[in-house]
Amino acid sequence: MVDLLSIDTINFLAAAILLVSLLVMASTRMGQLVRSFAIQSIMLAAISVVLAHYTGSEHIYIVAALTLVVKGIIIPRFLMYSIDRLKVHREIEPLVGIPASLLISGGLVIVAYYVTEPLISSAEAVTRNCLAISLAVVFIGMFMMISRRKAMTQMVGLLMMENGLFLGIISTTYGMPLIVEIGIFFDVFMAVLIMGIFAYRINQTFETLDTTFLRRLRG
Amino acid sequence: MVEILLLVPLITALLCAISRSERAIFVFSVAGSLITALVAIPYCYQAFFEGPVDTGLWYLDPLSGLFMVVIVVITALVSLYSVEYLKHDRTEGEINIKDLRYYHALLHLFAFSMLVVVVVDSLGLMWIAVEGTTLVSAFLVGFYKKSEAMEASWKYLIICSVGITLALLGIILLYASSVDALGANADTLDWSVLRSVAGQLDPALLKISFIFILVGLGTKAGLAPMHTWLPDAHSQAPTPISALLSAVLLNCAMYGVLRVHILANEAVPGFSSSLLIFFGLLSLAIATAFILTSRDVKRFLAFSSVEHMGIIALGFGIGGPLAVFGAVFHVLAHSLTKTLMFFGAGNVIQKYRTREMKDIKGLGRTMPTTAALLVLGGAAIAGSPPFAIFIGELFIISGALVQGDYLVAGLFIALLVIIFAGMTYRIFGMVSGKPQEGLPEGELGKLRLLPMLFLALAILGLGLFLPEVVSDALSAVVELFGVSA
Repeated sequence: MVDLLSIDTINFLAAAILLVSLLVMASTRMGQLVRSFAIQSIMLAAISVVLAHYTGSEHIYIVAALTLVVKGIIIPRFLMYSIDRLKVHREIEPLVGIPASLLISGGLVIVAYYVTEPLISSAEAVTRNCLAISLAVVFIGMFMMISRRKAMTQMVGLLMMENGLFLGIISTTYGMPLIVEIGIFFDVFMAVLIMGIFAYRINQTFETLDTTFLRRLRG
Repeated sequence: MVEILLLVPLITALLCAISRSERAIFVFSVAGSLITALVAIPYCYQAFFEGPVDTGLWYLDPLSGLFMVVIVVITALVSLYSVEYLKHDRTEGEINIKDLRYYHALLHLFAFSMLVVVVVDSLGLMWIAVEGTTLVSAFLVGFYKKSEAMEASWKYLIICSVGITLALLGIILLYASSVDALGANADTLDWSVLRSVAGQLDPALLKISFIFILVGLGTKAGLAPMHTWLPDAHSQAPTPISALLSAVLLNCAMYGVLRVHILANEAVPGFSSSLLIFFGLLSLAIATAFILTSRDVKRFLAFSSVEHMGIIALGFGIGGPLAVFGAVFHVLAHSLTKTLMFFGAGNVIQKYRTREMKDIKGLGRTMPTTAALLVLGGAAIAGSPPFAIFIGELFIISGALVQGDYLVAGLFIALLVIIFAGMTYRIFGMVSGKPQEGLPEGELGKLRLLPMLFLALAILGLGLFLPEVVSDALSAVVELFGVSA
């Protein structure tokens, strides 16, 4: 007996995660960006809980708890703290304008559905949309890293890519081996911390966090 | 007990971090790396000749053995070379004792993370260790804390993190492709298990998975066009670290690609091979252009690493016993030769206080021993006989011809000829000519010539006569790829 309510909830939340990604591409303020990331992570935790209930695999509950605590609370707090501490300007200063960014993001969603199409036809009901959406979130995160110039926005872009990946992990495979998942969380956390340290050093050396100044090494 | 092997570098890092005097740091660092090498050798021997060591969490087969040899040997040489290199930096007032501690602790942590990459069985844990190598080495790249070094390490961190994220997507898809064969409750990413069911993996998922892993780990392995972080990081890192990045780190990433290549080649023959050939040739072509035009000696060597990683990918892609043997041999040959070149460049840079090749003239007069070793290494890295790299390239070319890949072989040879000309021209340009006025003659220290001498003998020895134990070990690696030498 297929649990239709769970499937609907999962699809609804997955769509919401994609919408948050698009919202991020439209935002102009740093604070908004970090808050959107936090909301996306909380939605990811919610999906994990529903999936854990649906599939009955208990270790996904642990993943949900970790997502909520690490990505929903600790990392956003750390980012907000760094933004205050480094006195980052509140504006985002995109290299690609917002209407164009949204248009490209829409295109990336179509690409993601196109790429996963051969896999989707044979997949189970739950994974059908999730895989395409996870890929779309990864692509949009990558595009964000390219099109926004602050070190902080690059970090958030990377984190959103990782959110997309986690959606992929829990929906297509119902979770990888637990030790791997915990390791990945640890790595993500360390990466953010270390990037924070470097952002701080860049700020000290260049007196800005604008990465367009990082164009000296070439040839 | 594989744990002991991993504990040695960790303890060394700790000891270096808490040592008070300069002397103690150096002693701990060199001794620690030598002990690691001594502990590693029996494992490698066992992996090569007595079948894989499999303890569940750890898995050592000949492929791990090959990369482990490279890691421990190069790390030992790098820690020996670092002694006088950093002493010089310290007398110049560029670094203090705190930086010294920090450098050596990170060096051994870096070695630790790379050892983990090659000894774990689970591909998921391998991914974690690869990300670990990036995080640790980013600090080493930014060691000098100048603005350029900051720029290089930020680029390194961001580009490699994005790459590794894509690789994770590949690993997820690989896991998904195994669900049908192993059942949903198998809950494993162990390579040894996946290998046993490689024929039954879902081909559609596996194809996409390999693309993501090749692009993701290829970023770290320095395959073009994802190599953009590499020249920056190599040129800004302290020179011994550049050697470690070039000779070992790139190989570790390549190791991950090869693991999945073995699986993919069994399930979907030919697919992963053609991708490896494509990226290999592209890397060679792009590296050629930059080898001819770069002005900075370390960037020049970094592009040469892109070239050689391309050659290795090409060799594995062509397949067949000859080409795979050539590629396996090339892994060893490239690591040894590139380390020699970076060590030589390190001597030159500290003497001339510049990395611009046009300002480096008359090495033959100012530092004759370094100059002689650089000429030797330069001839070797450009691919002239009788050195090891020449042998590797020869095997790959003849492998391609035997398989009937005439187009690939032709392109490969043409690019090698251009690179040979560019390389030798550049290196002889530095050795000959008149040194600038007022530059004192003489070497900077004897201890740094010792590892260089060892490396020069090694590449010459491997090129002239291949000892039986080495060729047996390499053949054991070749067998893993489903072809026998």
